[in-house]
Amino acid sequence: MNPQGTFQLPPALSEYAPRVDELYYFIFWISVVAFVAICVALVLFVWKFRERKGGPTKGAQSGDHHALELFWTFTPLILLTVLFHWGFKDYVAAAVAPDDAIQIRVRARQWAWEYEYPNGMITPGELTIPMGRPVKLVMSSDDVLHSYFVPEFRIKKDVVPGMYSSLWFQAIMQPRRYDAQVYCAEYCGARGDTGGHSAMLSTIHVVTGSEYEEFLREGPSRPTDLQTDTQWGELLVTQNNCLSCHHTDAATTLPAPSFAGIFGRHQSLEGGGEVTVDENYIRESMLTPQAKIVRTYTAIQMPPFHFSDHQVDAIIAYLKTIH
Amino acid sequence: MSTEAEATLPTSDHTGHGTGTSYLDASSGLRNWLITLDHKRIGIMYLISVLLAFAAGGIFALLVRIELLSPGRTIMGAATYNQVFTLHGAIMVFLFIIPSVPAALGNFFLPIMLGAKDVAFPRLNLLSFYIYVVGAVMALASMVIGSVDTGWTFYTPYSSNSVVGSQNAVIWMTGAVFTLGFSSILTGVNFIATVHKMRAPGQTWRRLPLFIWAAYATSVIQVLATPVLAITLALLLMERAFGLGIFDPRIGGDPVLFQHFFWFYSHPAVYIMILPGMGVVSEIIATFSKREIFGYMFVAMSSVGLALVGFLVWGHHMFVSGQSEYATMVFSALTFLVAIPSGVKIFNWLGTLYGGAISLESPMLYGLAFIVLFSIGGLTGLFHATLSTGIFLHDTYFVVAHFHYVMVGGTVFAFFGGLHYWWPKMTGKMYEEGLAKWGFALFFIGFNMTFLTQFVLGSRGMPRRYYDYLPQFTGLHQFSSTGAFIIGIGILLIFVNLTRSLISGKKAPRNPWRSAGYEWMTPTPPPLENFKEVPVITRGPYDYHLATEAELSEN
Repeated sequence: MNPQGTFQLPPALSEYAPRVDELYYFIFWISVVAFVAICVALVLFVWKFRERKGGPTKGAQSGDHHALELFWTFTPLILLTVLFHWGFKDYVAAAVAPDDAIQIRVRARQWAWEYEYPNGMITPGELTIPMGRPVKLVMSSDDVLHSYFVPEFRIKKDVVPGMYSSLWFQAIMQPRRYDAQVYCAEYCGARGDTGGHSAMLSTIHVVTGSEYEEFLREGPSRPTDLQTDTQWGELLVTQNNCLSCHHTDAATTLPAPSFAGIFGRHQSLEGGGEVTVDENYIRESMLTPQAKIVRTYTAIQMPPFHFSDHQVDAIIAYLKTIH
Repeated sequence: MSTEAEATLPTSDHTGHGTGTSYLDASSGLRNWLITLDHKRIGIMYLISVLLAFAAGGIFALLVRIELLSPGRTIMGAATYNQVFTLHGAIMVFLFIIPSVPAALGNFFLPIMLGAKDVAFPRLNLLSFYIYVVGAVMALASMVIGSVDTGWTFYTPYSSNSVVGSQNAVIWMTGAVFTLGFSSILTGVNFIATVHKMRAPGQTWRRLPLFIWAAYATSVIQVLATPVLAITLALLLMERAFGLGIFDPRIGGDPVLFQHFFWFYSHPAVYIMILPGMGVVSEIIATFSKREIFGYMFVAMSSVGLALVGFLVWGHHMFVSGQSEYATMVFSALTFLVAIPSGVKIFNWLGTLYGGAISLESPMLYGLAFIVLFSIGGLTGLFHATLSTGIFLHDTYFVVAHFHYVMVGGTVFAFFGGLHYWWPKMTGKMYEEGLAKWGFALFFIGFNMTFLTQFVLGSRGMPRRYYDYLPQFTGLHQFSSTGAFIIGIGILLIFVNLTRSLISGKKAPRNPWRSAGYEWMTPTPPPLENFKEVPVITRGPYDYHLATEAELSEN
């Protein structure tokens, strides 16, 4: 097991990862041996049989070498069979989740991940799970193809609209909580200047069993490395890709109202009426975005974001700072 | 050696009149080129077209690498980046690699190597060129109209329902690919008929040059697989235009079905791209080793074997797509079979070097580079065929590096090797050998810097098609981009050298490499009808021990 990672591979943070790594390095060294053998033979032959002044101007005649041909046609099959069997065995282990796995619903959409826990709590952007326990993700997509990829766990599965797909893993036991990075690995587009597909990231927080129980009771709390709610709000805005549609710069035209100077602004609404942007309007706009739409911003339907009360506070605190 | 074969040797004055007039001098004027039925001129027109496409695709590649020099925005926004990498892929695959060796070099040399006057259907040949031009113009139109940002794979439902970019651009681009497919099919049909019916007297199947075997196997794939691409794209167009629910789940379709359809064509298409390159390499290695190809029949049959196995492995692009576990298992097992014929080729090329009389002119450097780079491409394929590692590495830079080693390290190196090898015969001019070696060296070094790095990026978890990346990947991305600029300089040098040879190059002799290959027996440049008289073939193309001194001399 190598929780630190190597030059080629990221840290191995799931029980399954070392199995993949072992096979990876087995193939790697076989390839190195085969490649070096080919290169040595090539250089040696080219040198030994180079055309010399006064030497032969034609190569030797070949003749038939059926035994040799059959040898190098069929011997590789032995190695290939070993690789197939080894890879398949591990694949089956990764495909079947244990019955006692904690089940998490994962919903993907352009360009964010959302998680629903067994008790019904929803967290956008971040997943918190206990270490040492099997976890099964049941995934669906609201729009196009996405793919859930956790390099540190060595797992990946496409998230397909119109069907469920699933993944499972068991994060390794460590003395302290740690994180794993999630990427979207199936191209899903972008809009404007910001990330889109490449910003469809997520973080898995792996915590101890008691921390997980507390999390389920209390909901998400501010990461310990952040000092203020404003910083947390900024992090949440980044993690949930709000800037794919909104912007912090008043000049840029994007499909959603700019965040610059948003707090206290008077907005005309679609279908008549006006609103002053205050805490309640921001809260409503995140939890039920279709309720009051700012005029002309009808091209994109913003989906609801299920933030906890504390997260809503943090985002409001952050939005107040953008002028 | 028989007198008939000697009859194919040129007279000392091969710019003479009558049947001996070079195809370049046979008629002049742009119009005579544009309506020509001569396979050589059609080959040259293809060559110019695919080189233009290569230049365009290369510029897009450099834009991608410039953008990736730093995380976040470097020179363009995310939506623009997505269009740029899509155009790089689509242009390189459909406008450059697929027609590069078969349509450009194949058109020129397939009939000559068979001892034929032309292909079986010269008019069809010209038609397929113009269909290619129409396809290329449609692809250009899609760039003018708006933006295709779907990736060259056009995965649904993103491509059928994209919220970004212009609806019409996707329709134009898929229409272009649909059209280009017909060009490919017609060329395939033409080559199959030519190989079967137009071989010179004495040209038995066992005496076919390996380039012909490869072109033949490629043509079979083109004819069998390309219609499936046409069907797929037609269904996609109908979904976009008329809202028929085929691939989009919101209207009752199945997005995974598209992937099955698409890869049922596009995996065999990988062999459309690589097999002709392997054929070129076999010719080069035999010529510069002055020796018969080791295990000729095994090399020939490995081309046919790759063509067959290539039809049975499309599902290995879909290990994580949600296809059934059983399908995944079967596709993994079948994919390993690809290693067998690939290995057979490598081993036999090495066997050919052993006992040769080897000289290292620039075409041979490309041939040897192919062996090295294709070995890396093939061996890294093992990581993908193996299920557990394949799933981990799927859709990361590891895959990007792997297929660039096969497509560029393989096909493009073979294409440039073939271009340098046959350039004297095609144009009647010699390029400067020193510059050619410099161009090769820069291309080779730059290529390995760019793509070896990407293996590490991928195995560390960097996903492909990413506009932005986490800071830990910065160093590797910058190193990779540096390599890309070196490739750019190398390619530029190659272009300059070849172009300069047309203006100020020395006159090429009949057989500059002293090869026993059939195509070198005719004057340089070849006469309109390829040979002054119908040649009678009395030996194999690699029978150096049977070739006469006159045949193996330069003039």
